[in-house]
Amino acid sequence: MLQKKICMLGGFAVGKTSLVRRFVQSIFSENYLTTVGVKIDKKSVAFPDKTVDLILWDLAGEDDIGSFRVSYVRGATGLVLVADGTRPATLAVALTLRERCEAEFGAMPFILLFNKSDLTDRWAVPEGEIDELKQRGWQIYLTSALSGEHVDDAFRQLASMVAN
Amino acid sequence: MTSSVEPISLSQRQASNDTGIDREALARLLVEIARNVDPDNRALYEGVPAADHRLERLRQLLVGGEISELSRVTHLLDEPEQLAAAVGNVLPEATARASHAQLGEALAPAVERAAQRSIQKNPNTLTDILYPVFLPAIRKSIGEKIDQTFQSLNESLRHIFTWHGLKWRFEAWRTGTSFSAVVLKHSLIYRVEHVFLISRASGLLIAHVTSQDATSEDPQLISSMLSAIQDFVKDSFKEKENSGLDTIRFGELRLWSEVGQFATLVAVIRGNPPEELHEVIRDVLLRIHQESSRALERFDGDSSQLPGVETQLQTCVELQHIDTKEGFPWLVVTAVLLALIVGGGWFFLSWQSAHRWQTYLSRLAAQPGIVVSDQKIRGGEFYVAGLRDPLAADPQSLLPGTEVDPARVHSNWHFYQSIEPEFVLKRLSASLAPPDSVRLSVVDDRIVAEGEATTTWIDRARAAAQQLSAGGPVFDISGVSDVSAEERWQAYVSQLETQPGIIVADHNVRDGQFYITGLRDPLAADPRSLLAGTQVDPARVHASWQFYQSLEPQFVLKRLTASLAPPDSVRLSVVNDRIVAAGVATTAWINRARAAAQQLSAGGPVFDISGVRDVSPEERWQAYVSRLEAQPGIIVAQQNVRDGQFYIAGLRDPLAVDPQSLLSGTQVDPARVHASWQFYQSLEPQFVLKRLTASLYPMDKVRLSIVKGRIVAEGEAPDTWIDRARAAARQLSEGGPEFDISKVRDVSPDARAAEHWQYYVSRLEAEPGIIVAQQSARGGDFYISGLRDPLAVDPKALLSGTQVDPARVHSQWQFYQSLDPKFVVKRLTASLSPPKSVRLSIVQGRIVVVGEAPAGWIGRARAAADQLSADGVVLDVSQLSELNLAELNQLREAIQTTDIFFSSGRVVPGPEQTPVLDRLADQLKEFAENAHKAGVTARFMLTGHSDITGRETANASISAARAETVRALLNKRGVAPELLQVRGAGTFEPAVPENENSRTGNSTNRRVSVTVNLE
Repeated sequence: MLQKKICMLGGFAVGKTSLVRRFVQSIFSENYLTTVGVKIDKKSVAFPDKTVDLILWDLAGEDDIGSFRVSYVRGATGLVLVADGTRPATLAVALTLRERCEAEFGAMPFILLFNKSDLTDRWAVPEGEIDELKQRGWQIYLTSALSGEHVDDAFRQLASMVAN
Repeated sequence: MTSSVEPISLSQRQASNDTGIDREALARLLVEIARNVDPDNRALYEGVPAADHRLERLRQLLVGGEISELSRVTHLLDEPEQLAAAVGNVLPEATARASHAQLGEALAPAVERAAQRSIQKNPNTLTDILYPVFLPAIRKSIGEKIDQTFQSLNESLRHIFTWHGLKWRFEAWRTGTSFSAVVLKHSLIYRVEHVFLISRASGLLIAHVTSQDATSEDPQLISSMLSAIQDFVKDSFKEKENSGLDTIRFGELRLWSEVGQFATLVAVIRGNPPEELHEVIRDVLLRIHQESSRALERFDGDSSQLPGVETQLQTCVELQHIDTKEGFPWLVVTAVLLALIVGGGWFFLSWQSAHRWQTYLSRLAAQPGIVVSDQKIRGGEFYVAGLRDPLAADPQSLLPGTEVDPARVHSNWHFYQSIEPEFVLKRLSASLAPPDSVRLSVVDDRIVAEGEATTTWIDRARAAAQQLSAGGPVFDISGVSDVSAEERWQAYVSQLETQPGIIVADHNVRDGQFYITGLRDPLAADPRSLLAGTQVDPARVHASWQFYQSLEPQFVLKRLTASLAPPDSVRLSVVNDRIVAAGVATTAWINRARAAAQQLSAGGPVFDISGVRDVSPEERWQAYVSRLEAQPGIIVAQQNVRDGQFYIAGLRDPLAVDPQSLLSGTQVDPARVHASWQFYQSLEPQFVLKRLTASLYPMDKVRLSIVKGRIVAEGEAPDTWIDRARAAARQLSEGGPEFDISKVRDVSPDARAAEHWQYYVSRLEAEPGIIVAQQSARGGDFYISGLRDPLAVDPKALLSGTQVDPARVHSQWQFYQSLDPKFVVKRLTASLSPPKSVRLSIVQGRIVVVGEAPAGWIGRARAAADQLSADGVVLDVSQLSELNLAELNQLREAIQTTDIFFSSGRVVPGPEQTPVLDRLADQLKEFAENAHKAGVTARFMLTGHSDITGRETANASISAARAETVRALLNKRGVAPELLQVRGAGTFEPAVPENENSRTGNSTNRRVSVTVNLE
């Protein structure tokens, strides 16, 4: 049994919760997010030689970084940064959250998801900006919680990053 | 080509910085090179020059720099001080880069020795360092102990009066364990259903073990959520890092967690586990840590790294205590039913025969002339005893019809004479044999005789009637007329006529009635009393007597005796019809007697008082003195009479009769008595007894008496009394009566122990917060039970100084919470932790809180007052006022005007802010400390700000991140993290207003400000 703690970070209403709702194993209700500030789900990713259980800590998304509970990130081996492709400001929030985590616990592997890729007409992040980020070697996925596009790929990628 | 080159000489002299260069080889090499450059040279330099200074020059040119560098390094290595400085410069860096495993092993012995040395030198240093680590562990351990105690107390109290409680008390007595232990054993039924071992760092599940048939959701998710909740609680309530969430309780389920260094063990328990289970769980966790410490520390989610842990956890899951439920006890029930049937049948039969027996008995009781005095049933046989009149029915004849088996009846009858009228009548008829003229009958329970009879028969009947009058029915014989009444009347009249002082004037008989008239002296015999014995019916006698004074000498004598009341020394008598007085009397009496004699002289008998001699005052005095001399405890030493005055001197015991009181009645004039008494202690036994009684205060159990002139004490007394008695006996031995105390038993050791015990009990009773319910002393041991407040004095501690042997004291105390104000104050002091500026005191049973306190504290005090009022305890908080923190204000001002500035887009302050941060940290610590002294808690809000360049959300994030960074930096400088709060204000609270179009942003607004709040 190989497990890894993964934190999902992102601003308010970027769709983190809906992203995991359909694609992961969950036993806790979403009320946990508002009460405890975290909800825990599991995503099993199977590789030919092993299975990695990603224990996903879905942290309550808020734009007020001050209320972000950094302590929940302790012991995490990877991050899932989620931004809303229709609201460019959420990228800054996600990146600031990552900055905070790394300041506290050091650098760790992450993937960056631009969610809501199905809303093409309202898409607001220019392709160039995404390319620029990819240039830095970042793993970036345009995902849709609605269609499930790239969600599995993204988790598989992260699993392979943290399992080695 | 000619050359003036001097041949190279191979110098053997070594340069100062030369360490043996092979000069010859070098020379050969140079010649070789020269030959290769120009073949002509081959001829020119055949040999190798032995010495050449140019060679040296060449060497200098080629390696001169290295040589000087080398000499510098050599110098550095040779000089210890310089070497130490050089190594010191690189040591931190070198340590950081060294392999951790090797470095750790290399340093371990040195560090151990250093620690040892430090402890030897001054243990306090290490204690101070370890204090923050130990303290929470110790606190937790103590907390659990207290929980354990309360748990056992609660369970004991809950079961104290139930049926189970009684059973368990018996079990405790039988097994010799404490009652509370037995209660816990039975009432704590639990089962450990799951055990999770969770990595502390990541919250990942290391291992999970579950008991049979227990189910749960995905353990991986549960363990992560559990650690998230731990974090949540820790963050929300600013708890210290190293304590964990101990217990979560949900209905029947409890989650107990034990926090270890690298892993947390969570046990899910169903039921009511004993507190000791904490220790079991902790042991398992400790063992796991000991065995796999390294693997735990490095745990990265791969549970295959930790084999064998599950086996350890399995021991936890096997823990359970289930109350054994035995099958329904059919055998017992059957046996009991059988016993009930047999018992019921026997009971019915015996009830039936007893009922029949009772019927017979009531028949007997209804029979006249039969009295049942005793009856019983034993072993199916009937026993009856009582009285029966020979004339009554035979008891045996009453048996038929009652279904009582006559063979089983054992009777014991005594004959007696029944006084029921019909039996008496029968007996009277038989014994009196009344003549035909008399008829006997029973009228209203009275036996009435009517008719005529002779006096002799009437006499016999009367005798019978008299006999009967003692409890029997009335035998009325008044209806029987005496045929010889007149004869008896004549006899009566002649008897009267012979009586002195009675003169019969006339008498006759008319119609069966008797009439008589005459005179009688009041002192003469009563004619009526003479009637008795004459058999004359007084009801038929009609007498008419006139009183007169008889002058017959004996009547006069009587009257004189009554009126003169002669003293004992005077004797009156009738001699030849004269009344003669003889003896000794006082003048006054003689005068009165003389007057009486004169009165009598007119017709009465002569009253001769010439035989009475007058008593002189001297004689009376002598009589008095001889009376005194007869008094015990009075010794007359001297007495005389001079000039009509009486003088007396002597000794008297204070306990003897007062000589003065003896004077009355002696007719000695007290005014003429001059007495001089010396007090002394009489040694007559009765006086000694009195004195001993007064001085020894004999206890209730000692009785003093005089036996043959000796004073004997008997009974029981403590040794202190015996000692005093012995001392008294010694004193008496010189001339006094013997005082024998050998019959007094010494009861002191027991009595003293009991006294000490009573003293201890009274001390306990006087102690507030202790209620003595019961106490007794049995067989030399003392038993006490009651209630005590945990804050009250330990009853054991009170034992010291009472001389009661603690080993003989068996106490049983139940804890309770005293509502005595003193204890309430103690509890309040512990729970509210009032600031120093507040004083709690008790005024007339009310608890009054006076002083200054922060508003938050006042609120808590009010809440406590509300709670207490329900218990009837008054907590007066009206005299509390809000704290004035003037002194802190200056420091607060200084803190609040401090800002930490940032470069554009940065969340970490530049190095130029370091001194500001240092100063701020010092100020915060000082403020927090002062506030704590004043009893308030200071909290500092770090507010991050940004300039207005950039997006609003990014600004919000960056401002919060700045505040977080400052918190971390202050934390590093020793400011307690729980005092620091952070928030991001974004651009909303600028220090200076900014132009919307500004491109660079205002550096003054990129800052973190501090505000101080007091709680």
